[in-house]
Amino acid sequence: MADLGRYGARGDVIESLLARRILFVTGKGGTGKTTIAAALALVAAASGRRVLCVDVDAKGDLARAFGAQPMGFEPRLVQTGVSALALLPEESLQEYLRIFFKLPRFARLTPLVRVLDFVAIGVPGTREMLTIGKIAYEERRREGERPAWDVIVVDGAATGHMLPQLQAARSMMDLTRGGMIHSQTEWVDRTLTDPQRTLLAICALPEEMPVVEAIELHDRARAEAHVAVGVCFLNATFPVPVTASDTAVLERLAAAHAPAAAARLGGDVRPVLEGAAIARRLHDDDRRQAGRLRARLGIPVLEVPRQFGTRPGLETTRAVAAALMTSPA
Amino acid sequence: MRAEVGLAATGDLVERLAGHQVIVCCGSGGVGKTTVSAALGVAIAAARDTPVLVLTIDPARRLATALGLGSIGTRPVTIPPARLRRAGVAPRGELAAAMLDAKSEWDRLVERHARSPQVRDRILANRFYQGISTAFAGSQEYVALEAVYDLHASGRYGCIVVDTPPSRSALDFLEAPDRLTDFVSARLLAWLAGPSRIGLRAMGFAATPFLRMADRLLGGEVLEELGAFVRDVEGLYEGVRPRAAAMYDLLRSPKTAFTIVTTLDPQPFAEAEFFCAKLREYSIPLRAVVVNRVLPDSLLEPGAVAAATTLAGDPGVAAWMSAELDEPVPPPVPRRLGQAFLALHALAARQVAQVGRLGGLGRVPVVRLPLADREISDLESLGQLARWLLDGVG
Repeated sequence: MADLGRYGARGDVIESLLARRILFVTGKGGTGKTTIAAALALVAAASGRRVLCVDVDAKGDLARAFGAQPMGFEPRLVQTGVSALALLPEESLQEYLRIFFKLPRFARLTPLVRVLDFVAIGVPGTREMLTIGKIAYEERRREGERPAWDVIVVDGAATGHMLPQLQAARSMMDLTRGGMIHSQTEWVDRTLTDPQRTLLAICALPEEMPVVEAIELHDRARAEAHVAVGVCFLNATFPVPVTASDTAVLERLAAAHAPAAAARLGGDVRPVLEGAAIARRLHDDDRRQAGRLRARLGIPVLEVPRQFGTRPGLETTRAVAAALMTSPA
Repeated sequence: MRAEVGLAATGDLVERLAGHQVIVCCGSGGVGKTTVSAALGVAIAAARDTPVLVLTIDPARRLATALGLGSIGTRPVTIPPARLRRAGVAPRGELAAAMLDAKSEWDRLVERHARSPQVRDRILANRFYQGISTAFAGSQEYVALEAVYDLHASGRYGCIVVDTPPSRSALDFLEAPDRLTDFVSARLLAWLAGPSRIGLRAMGFAATPFLRMADRLLGGEVLEELGAFVRDVEGLYEGVRPRAAAMYDLLRSPKTAFTIVTTLDPQPFAEAEFFCAKLREYSIPLRAVVVNRVLPDSLLEPGAVAAATTLAGDPGVAAWMSAELDEPVPPPVPRRLGQAFLALHALAARQVAQVGRLGGLGRVPVVRLPLADREISDLESLGQLARWLLDGVG
């Protein structure tokens, strides 16, 4: 990833990510991957790109992040320049059969969905292949002379399910030696394993487990799925770097000058001191975990400050998008 | 955050929960569920003269090390009482910890229920088996239940604290027995496992569109192989079904106490509410709620907000501080202190907004644990959390 300079400016890193065709965003549950995926889509659209954002687990989180109604299987404009779709199992299958096998749409596919559901249990990658198949289809789709989308941002599965998804094509090639699915998988695999076309973005929080999972996923994505990891987002960092000497100044003020301070500042400073201690703990966690990630991963680690006072949904997504474009002080 | 919901004293929580033999901790990922489960185990071992086991799913490495869990395998490891005493907890009962190893639990399930050694070996060697035992939704939850059931039935522990897998809704944990029996008994399997699909074809089934389509999609070879595998796995069903029913009974019985662990952040809290609704749907009573990482009330004091606002924004405040303290105070110092407080104040205010919704979770004891001053990753900090659970906070 020589072109993603480790010390490059934040905007350059984001720009380099968005120059890819497909960007998978993943991370342990609760790391804010949906918000970051949506924010990346807004940033891409702001630079004039036509963006498709894909919700893989179809739980509606991505629609909320855009302040939109629940999404369907067909792309729909959710923000200027951003279309979005949700992958629904039955519809994915219908579409898959229609696109790849030129089969007519069946009125009721439930029995077949159940067969495939079962097969999906036994044959790793069947279900994932439907997911990846749709994404790969959208990647190749053209409108007139040009590709339908400049970039596809995927709000991917949580860490545990991400690798099977990325490896789906390969697993299918290995397992379904004779079937028609086999013949469709090769070009999907080629798209995913080309770092010029596909990158993985891993989200973490400044806490032990999400960081451990991020490192593990990074290593395994490269070694097992052969998918390049472009960036790690360390999300929800504390935005104010309070130092020990800051706290010490306030301590002296609270200890020997409390009445004067209360009069000059308009209130009791002792709770401010308590807040400073919490802020330091959070800031220290941030520094430690960011340091670990930077030392361990050879990719840019971008810190995304925690959003205070924004309502969940589009307001938060916009704030995160703005933060992605702003280098920290 | 002064409005109390449920019991005020945290010690009551431990007392209430200690009466149950299985304590299931549920909650969204990232709320500190594993840590709280472990602390609850420590607290119960301190409160009751009974052997306590903490069964954890996927602990952070440092916490695992703190609990003495070095290697994988669902084998309980006893924590030396001296270690606990050094961590500030005086155990009355024994405390042990175990880490669920889903793969070996699946192997055990196959070994237990396979019709014959030949069938057992065939299943374990099958190339689909790996996929089945790890990929299938709810599989980890199911074997976690198996492990809990076995450990409970052994009578070795008076209390087992279970940290559920970090599935988004923890719903899979409840549905696990259903899912597995559903899986093994599906009519589809009967179809696949039929005497021979060549026989089916002879009977005219080949004309059915989806049989033909499945063949075209996957290749006949795969289906044949799966069919043979399913015939072997089907034999497991006879053994699994009554066990699954017994496990479900244990979960629903008063021996088991479901506890929700959450933070006051909007997303995990919404999941806690969702999970509560699911418990009601299953007619399983919720016994307690542990709210983790609560910010202190002092962050809400209006006087402090005023002081912080001055520190953050008053251009003359650094000069005043320099004069008052008789030392140079650069302007960024008060600015950072003020901004940090105001940011935390915003967070605390958002937490308070959620507190009002706690009552909606049910009429159960609600315990709030403060945000610890460092990450809980050793026995000492775990002991602090346990003392909070036992004695209340501050």
